[in-house]
Amino acid sequence: MVPDSGGYLRTSSSSGWKSLITFTVLLLAWISGFSSRLFAVIRFESIIHEFDPWFNYRSTAYMVKNGFYNFLNWFDERAWYPLGRIVGGTVYPGLMITSGSIHYILHSLNIPVHIRDICVFLAPVFSGLTAIATYLLTKELWSAGAGLFAACFIAIVPGYISRSVAGSYDNEGIAIFALQFTYYLWVKSVKTGSIFWACMASLSYFYMVSAWGGYVFIINLIPLHVFVLLIMGRYSDRLFTSYTTFYILGLLLSMQIPFVGFQPIRTSEHMAAAGVFALLMAMLVLKYLQSILSRAEFKYFFILAASIAAGVVFFTVVVLTYAGIIAPWSGRFYSLWDTGYAKIHIPIIASVSEHQPTTWFSFFFDLHILVTTFPVGLWYCIKNITDERVFVVLYALSAVYFAGVMVRLMLTLTPVVCMLSGIAFSRLLELFLKEEQNPSQSTFSDSDDEANGDKGSSRMYDKAGKLRKMKHEQQKEADGLGVNIRSIVIVAVLMMLMMFAVHCTWITSNAYSSPSIVLATYSQDGTRQILDDFREAYYWLSQNTASDARVMSWWDYGYQIAGMANRTTLVDNNTWNNSHIALVGKAMSSNETEAYKIMLSLDVDYVLVIFGGVIGYSGDDINKFLWMVRIAEGEHPKDIRETDYFTDRGEFRVDSEGTPTLLNCLMYKLSYYRFGDLRLDYRTPTGFDRTRNVIIGNKYFDLTYLEEAYTTEHWLVRIYRVKKPDDFNRPRIPVSERKIKRSKIFIPKKQTNKRKKGLIKNKPVVVKGKKPSRVS
Amino acid sequence: MKLHILLCVLFTTCLLNLTESQVRKKDGQSLGERVQQLMDMNLKRSVLRFNGNKFRDFVKSTPRNYSVIVMFTAMAPQRQCSICRHAHDEFQIVANSFRYSQAYSNKLFFALVDFDEGPDVFQMLRLNTAPVFMHFPAKGKPKQSDTMDIQRVGFAAEAIAKWIGERTDVQLRVFRPPNYSGTVALILLFGLVAGFLYLRRNNLDFLYNKNCWAIIAVFFCFAMVSGQMWNHIRGPPFVHKASGGGIAYIHGSSQGQFVLETYIIAVLNGAIVLGMILMTEAASHKGDVRKRRILAIAGLVLVATFFSLILSIFRSKAHGYPYSFLFK
Repeated sequence: MVPDSGGYLRTSSSSGWKSLITFTVLLLAWISGFSSRLFAVIRFESIIHEFDPWFNYRSTAYMVKNGFYNFLNWFDERAWYPLGRIVGGTVYPGLMITSGSIHYILHSLNIPVHIRDICVFLAPVFSGLTAIATYLLTKELWSAGAGLFAACFIAIVPGYISRSVAGSYDNEGIAIFALQFTYYLWVKSVKTGSIFWACMASLSYFYMVSAWGGYVFIINLIPLHVFVLLIMGRYSDRLFTSYTTFYILGLLLSMQIPFVGFQPIRTSEHMAAAGVFALLMAMLVLKYLQSILSRAEFKYFFILAASIAAGVVFFTVVVLTYAGIIAPWSGRFYSLWDTGYAKIHIPIIASVSEHQPTTWFSFFFDLHILVTTFPVGLWYCIKNITDERVFVVLYALSAVYFAGVMVRLMLTLTPVVCMLSGIAFSRLLELFLKEEQNPSQSTFSDSDDEANGDKGSSRMYDKAGKLRKMKHEQQKEADGLGVNIRSIVIVAVLMMLMMFAVHCTWITSNAYSSPSIVLATYSQDGTRQILDDFREAYYWLSQNTASDARVMSWWDYGYQIAGMANRTTLVDNNTWNNSHIALVGKAMSSNETEAYKIMLSLDVDYVLVIFGGVIGYSGDDINKFLWMVRIAEGEHPKDIRETDYFTDRGEFRVDSEGTPTLLNCLMYKLSYYRFGDLRLDYRTPTGFDRTRNVIIGNKYFDLTYLEEAYTTEHWLVRIYRVKKPDDFNRPRIPVSERKIKRSKIFIPKKQTNKRKKGLIKNKPVVVKGKKPSRVS
Repeated sequence: MKLHILLCVLFTTCLLNLTESQVRKKDGQSLGERVQQLMDMNLKRSVLRFNGNKFRDFVKSTPRNYSVIVMFTAMAPQRQCSICRHAHDEFQIVANSFRYSQAYSNKLFFALVDFDEGPDVFQMLRLNTAPVFMHFPAKGKPKQSDTMDIQRVGFAAEAIAKWIGERTDVQLRVFRPPNYSGTVALILLFGLVAGFLYLRRNNLDFLYNKNCWAIIAVFFCFAMVSGQMWNHIRGPPFVHKASGGGIAYIHGSSQGQFVLETYIIAVLNGAIVLGMILMTEAASHKGDVRKRRILAIAGLVLVATFFSLILSIFRSKAHGYPYSFLFK
């Protein structure tokens, strides 16, 4: 998979060759990165994946339809009923603007592409740009060869593919490009000290801020870089120019994003940047004073000024934080430092699997050989330290720490691992592939100042084609290692790199290419069966319910209901309001009567649950149920107690051993309604849950306050209608007094799907005091 | 205020009758007397120590108008109950938070029964493990849920307080005495480093030693990449006894890991890095060709062997992963 193209270079005047090869390798990296992200599209269809992307897609579609300014002012009344959501002020709009402008350009060129296809293919396209940005950054840090290696690595590494397969239309897809490109421009500006590059860096930073909340990583890493350089005594005017330009421009630009607003001058996450800015100013003043004061005076002045400054800064920060002008560390950020914090205080953060710490297995799974070799690159960067390599060292150390704390931040580790491994492999292969005629070149020389042909041609080593020729040519050995050893090493290293390529493709194909709204099962003979229950249910909702119907579900499905069914939801994946989510959790975990009160107060029309017991789908609501209980308990400790849902032995079970509270709560009833009658196959008894491999405990029950509205083919999604207060408990009118006499009342006992559909369509809507619209 | 006066009165009576009350036979005490005695004892210590007799007098006797949270434990060194010590500390924290809180009343008491002081109590309640936390409600017998499930919720002070809140409606806010040991250790460390630097201020070259920094950085990477942070947060066992009687060093699933396993992975990673560096150094340095060849081969062997080893461990954890290198 690593594109090893290009020929062997013998000509010395070959800057043309060099750029051709660079171009070819990058192009191939782009193409292979793009195509390995297409598994999901080829296997299924061009479809938006998972949860968050549905919201992004919905807002993009809204923006394309109504224009950018309407999008910024968009108040979405279909989310968080009855609160609503100010979308324009609570999203990072970079993603929508990017795909929106691509759509605009293509349409002005009369290329009619649907916005959905742009959204689906945006992340794979940007992965190529990421590869190029990584190439540029690594080239600045080490050499062009290492850059090509890094570009090839990042094009196919699973740690990045996991967030950027086709259809995964999420902020991270474009943000990694923005991240790498900002770092490239920053390193460039530190090296040159030019205001131009610093401005470009802050523009790129602006794009990053508009795209992803992870921009905080940049605005802390760059000041850290400056700070460490100051400590190391590497202060220079270049550094001063580039940082001050970058900081001021970046600060102003970042505040233009509505969602960010005044955060950069108010929250603690951004204070490090301001502090370093002040420190840099102080440094400049000191430099100036040093030139006019005597040594003793200067020393005295320095100590005095330093202690006063430290005291003033400390107290200002304390007072401002105390007065509430500077917000304290926000929860999610805080959980990075004190890892026990989230677990105790914020169940909603702990419930998301992305916020878990990382095992060594995940590291190896996502990075394979790179994770074992990047310390080599780190080693050589520290051994041959320069201003910009300080940066990559800090980048690596902080990113590896954060990735250890949170699986999700593997994404920020991946680029730097690719870069450092690129350096390690390029250094190794550079030495082993080099011809030994001119031994003077075998010592490593800094690549910064080398640009011209003679050396440059010899840097194009990482080509497979070279290998064969060298075997023929190399005969004499002065003080080299000898052909045999070198070829053995080369072959072994290439084998391992091949393993890497194979691993990446396998992981991408097997782990990261499932759209998760369309499921596939494989039967014994290998034929594939597509389970399209989610879309079936959402389509049913969109066709058979009133357009302002309110659907209650657990928050995971909020974005999908809004995006596909276009109905109002109570909670969704933007989990900003914990108490609202807790209310839904409480409704799900109370018994039917209690739940009905909550549902009435929230105006719920339909309830949607995901149930995997028929097909053995493990991500269903019963398996997530404990989190609902926990979150509900956090807000309503009097009414919901987690212990009530565990058996005496502390087990969570849905069979006859389960606790009565569990067996009678709303979620249980909605999941298992009529399931007790169902016999899945002749070997198992009725009511056998395939996900949990038990016979359910409470088989036969009726629903009082809800009625089944729709159940999909494989029972994966079940939708219930909440009865209005006038739907039941009405005084019974004797048959003789009824105005409408029905000869036969249909009792739904064992329904088939077809029958059920018909029933609901033809059911007379009887509203008290009104004449029924239709008589059957 | 009322409580305060009551306490004063109780205290004086307590002083007067201290010797007397201890000697006096305890059957047939009225409820008021018992409450008073408990309050007296509670003045001295927040967790009451009961032996068999006291347990029967204060906890098993009826009528009561107070609940008692009892920890059954075995603190004697020969019992070798290491978690009992932790449990006791946590329990003490809860009891103290209650003792010095606004909610303090004579409705709830904290008590402790040590196995060596009251083995009959353990027999009576058919307990054969320790520690066990039980709640004895004011009315009726303790139910199943009055025994705290420490398997599931653990015995951190917060968990105990939450459980007490569920059982008795006394909402406790756990106040942990601030733990200064971490801060002190940090200050001490900084002091040591600063002192060391000051003593060696004429010879600070080691700060400029790149090898030193590089080694620190690389080891930090090993620690993180081998999942030490996961260990820190989740606290997995060191190794696990396998079902066949042997010891499992490697966790069977991809979701978990053992502490020893992470050390093994760190060592394997280190060996691969070492191998890569050896190969690179062998090719980049001048000097004895023979020595460099050996270095290069050694590096290659290290990289290839340990990489395939790590790959095979990975393969054993990821079920269905098809690839391996050199050996399975």
